[in-house]
Amino acid sequence: MTQANGWIGTILRINLTEGSIKKEPLNMQDAHDYVGARGLGTKYYCNEVDPKVDPLSPENKLIFMTGPLTGTAACSAGRYEVVSKAPLTGIIGAANSGGHFGPELKYAGYDGIIFEGKANHPVYLHINDDQVELLDANELWGQGVHETTEALEAKHGKVRVSCIGTPGERCMLFAAIMNDKNRAAGRGGMGAVMGSKNLKAIAVRGTGGVTVARPEGFMNEVTKARTMLKEHPVTGNGLGTFGTEILVNIVNEVGGLPLRNGRDGSYWEQADDTSGERLNETHLVKNQGCFGCSIACGRVTKIEGKGNLDGFGEGPEYEAGWSYGAACGVNDISSIVKANFICNEQGMDPITLGSTVACAMELYEMGAIPEEDIGFPLRFGDAAAMVKLTQMCADGEGFGKTIGLGSYRLAEKYGHPELSMSVKKQEMPAYDGRAIQGIGLEYATSNRGGCHVRGYMISPEVLGIPVKLDPQVTEGKGAMLKTFQDLTALCDSTGMCLFTTFGIGLPEIAGQYREAVGSDETDEEILLKGERIWNLEKRFNMEAGVEKDTLPPRLLREALPSGPAKGKVNELQTMLADYYEARNWTADGIPTPEKLAELNVTY
Amino acid sequence: MLVKFLATYRQIARCKSCDLPAPSNVLELMEALCARWPEFDGLILNKERTDKGDDVIILVNGRHIEHLDGVATRLTEQDYVVITPLVAGG
Amino acid sequence: MAKQLVVDPKKCVSCRTCELVCSFKHNEEFNPRLSNVSVFHYEDAAITVPIMCMQCDEASCAAICPTGALRRNAQGVIEHDANKCIVCKMCVSACPLGNISYSPAKRMIHKCDLCGGEAWCAKYCPTGAISLVDPDEVPDKKQLAADKLKAAVEEVRA
Repeated sequence: MTQANGWIGTILRINLTEGSIKKEPLNMQDAHDYVGARGLGTKYYCNEVDPKVDPLSPENKLIFMTGPLTGTAACSAGRYEVVSKAPLTGIIGAANSGGHFGPELKYAGYDGIIFEGKANHPVYLHINDDQVELLDANELWGQGVHETTEALEAKHGKVRVSCIGTPGERCMLFAAIMNDKNRAAGRGGMGAVMGSKNLKAIAVRGTGGVTVARPEGFMNEVTKARTMLKEHPVTGNGLGTFGTEILVNIVNEVGGLPLRNGRDGSYWEQADDTSGERLNETHLVKNQGCFGCSIACGRVTKIEGKGNLDGFGEGPEYEAGWSYGAACGVNDISSIVKANFICNEQGMDPITLGSTVACAMELYEMGAIPEEDIGFPLRFGDAAAMVKLTQMCADGEGFGKTIGLGSYRLAEKYGHPELSMSVKKQEMPAYDGRAIQGIGLEYATSNRGGCHVRGYMISPEVLGIPVKLDPQVTEGKGAMLKTFQDLTALCDSTGMCLFTTFGIGLPEIAGQYREAVGSDETDEEILLKGERIWNLEKRFNMEAGVEKDTLPPRLLREALPSGPAKGKVNELQTMLADYYEARNWTADGIPTPEKLAELNVTY
Repeated sequence: MLVKFLATYRQIARCKSCDLPAPSNVLELMEALCARWPEFDGLILNKERTDKGDDVIILVNGRHIEHLDGVATRLTEQDYVVITPLVAGG
Repeated sequence: MAKQLVVDPKKCVSCRTCELVCSFKHNEEFNPRLSNVSVFHYEDAAITVPIMCMQCDEASCAAICPTGALRRNAQGVIEHDANKCIVCKMCVSACPLGNISYSPAKRMIHKCDLCGGEAWCAKYCPTGAISLVDPDEVPDKKQLAADKLKAAVEEVRA
């Protein structure tokens, strides 16, 4: 039965090689020290897996982990995390997702699932409360995410499904794990790890519940935090009304929207054609929330009267809207929505995919990729070619296979690794580190490679949340980023959505956490857990053989040709020194023994 | 002088942008906008009408006015202003 | 006159916060299966509908209950008295809307009691898709239709 502290107290351990299913008690000491979800999943992973492991080998493990707030009424607490070594980057991969799957797993009686080994034929895991079984997935193999989900719903009734599409089956390096059809644990290739294990899906139905340590105190904290979210202009109105795509215009106006693989700077005259305002006018059906979420930023969208493009689904989010929009120089919003639909239907990370198409467009235009390799011209702005290539990547056909390598391996193959807009082989998202200095630092130091959700510096640098920092200066960025990274690690690990942090902060996150788990720790002690998580991830990456913290040469040396930040490059070295100092690491970015001892990180 | 509106401010102004004669500074521009579209009152200016509202972002030539001279930032015909309610994404 | 819950599916964003807080209010447990409100999502239509007890004037559940465990209280709410209930589940069959539930896990009958007037589903609904209103204050549909016509006339004039 459930423990009265946010946790169920049970982990499922599935050995796919043996076909064995075990239930074991949750490691409560690690749950205390590493919070849950991202932190706890990473701790389990580090405890059990050799950091030098080949991510796609049976020796690798794949961990699904919820947080202590997942499935409770805490703000937007419907999330679970997938942790493994990421095949795209070769470092720690932790990707989280909302929807309804994570809470359902807890209601079925499990805080997490650890998959080991590799099945000798395609299987899926079916969980119906106490009943847990590995079933044959031969009929599902070869099907997309939506078909797989619908087939499992038809067979098992009211189940929540997390699964991969065909790119995951083929171990494509940025295949995503998708749940509730359109929600993605998107980055780093967690879907490829799942595919490498011959594991097609998890279908779960749970009828139990989650209880907390101090019910009255918990609801008081929940009520306070939810009221703050409701009253904040971003979480109470902006995100629900316009979704994340609303950022296109404002980021472009500060000169930070990378254009045509960053080749042509970061200010785009056509940006408004791809904006959230435009998406609302053209494709939005309605907004939708994940489990327990009052923000409801999700976009239910459809394309009608556009022939081949017609479809129904969700999104795009801002990052996908950019990767298929400004990054490819494509201003046809229907094509952007369509490319994103394909990513959802087949389980692919649209940030990496769109950016890789953009990189290929630049290489094609400079003559580095011959047209016969692609089979058709691939110029910036060619919406039809972009959608076609996305479908080819989903299907693993022709040049789509090369796109499936990601931009780093693609650019390297054609002799120009410097034109991959990636950090540690993962593509940077939709903000230019030349115009917005701190986000560049964030990309360079992110523990999972190029990524915006490891310390979202756009909040202070562009939006002024919680304070306004000048995007064009370097001062103060290192210390602010350190705090943001630690707070994000904490927020992710509770099971709450990072978007809540636009409207609430540490006191509210810590408050809900304390009342749920029954802790009397101070806010600072709880934030320290975020720092512990960050340092553990860093230690794993060092043992895995991570490359140094840097940015693509374009950001460091090619000055922006136009826009409000004209003439700027990213001043990374200055900020890195401040950042390492704020982290109390060495000048080379190595966690000191003193820092690790202080945090009790033994790895 | 070009003034561009984003997000819900487009619904208030019923346009994406407009050309206005340049007032001498940002505060005067805000007042002019409130005069033309009364719905802006209470949104883009604070209650005392001495500063911008809390939940508005104003860019002059792509720079947030907090990094310029705030609402005292001087304007000329060549300047380009963007006004948006606080929004976010990611 | 008792207040009543009113549902506006257009505003529902499918978040199921109502299920969470309802189950917690009555059981101190977050468990949608124990909630007295259920959210139904129609994916293809992009419509979501929360469903809960309407406290019927002619309540079949109370009429069929052999032990008097279901009775209308002074506030007009059909209350369930667990002490009198023999869990025969006749009420579950009788409710034409399916709004009386039986929990196999807890072996009990549960139904909406408006949280003694607080109606947590409405209180915590982030969009106002569920609201608790005084029937006298429910905007009359005729009035709403008239409002729309007036707006159309204004548009034409402009």
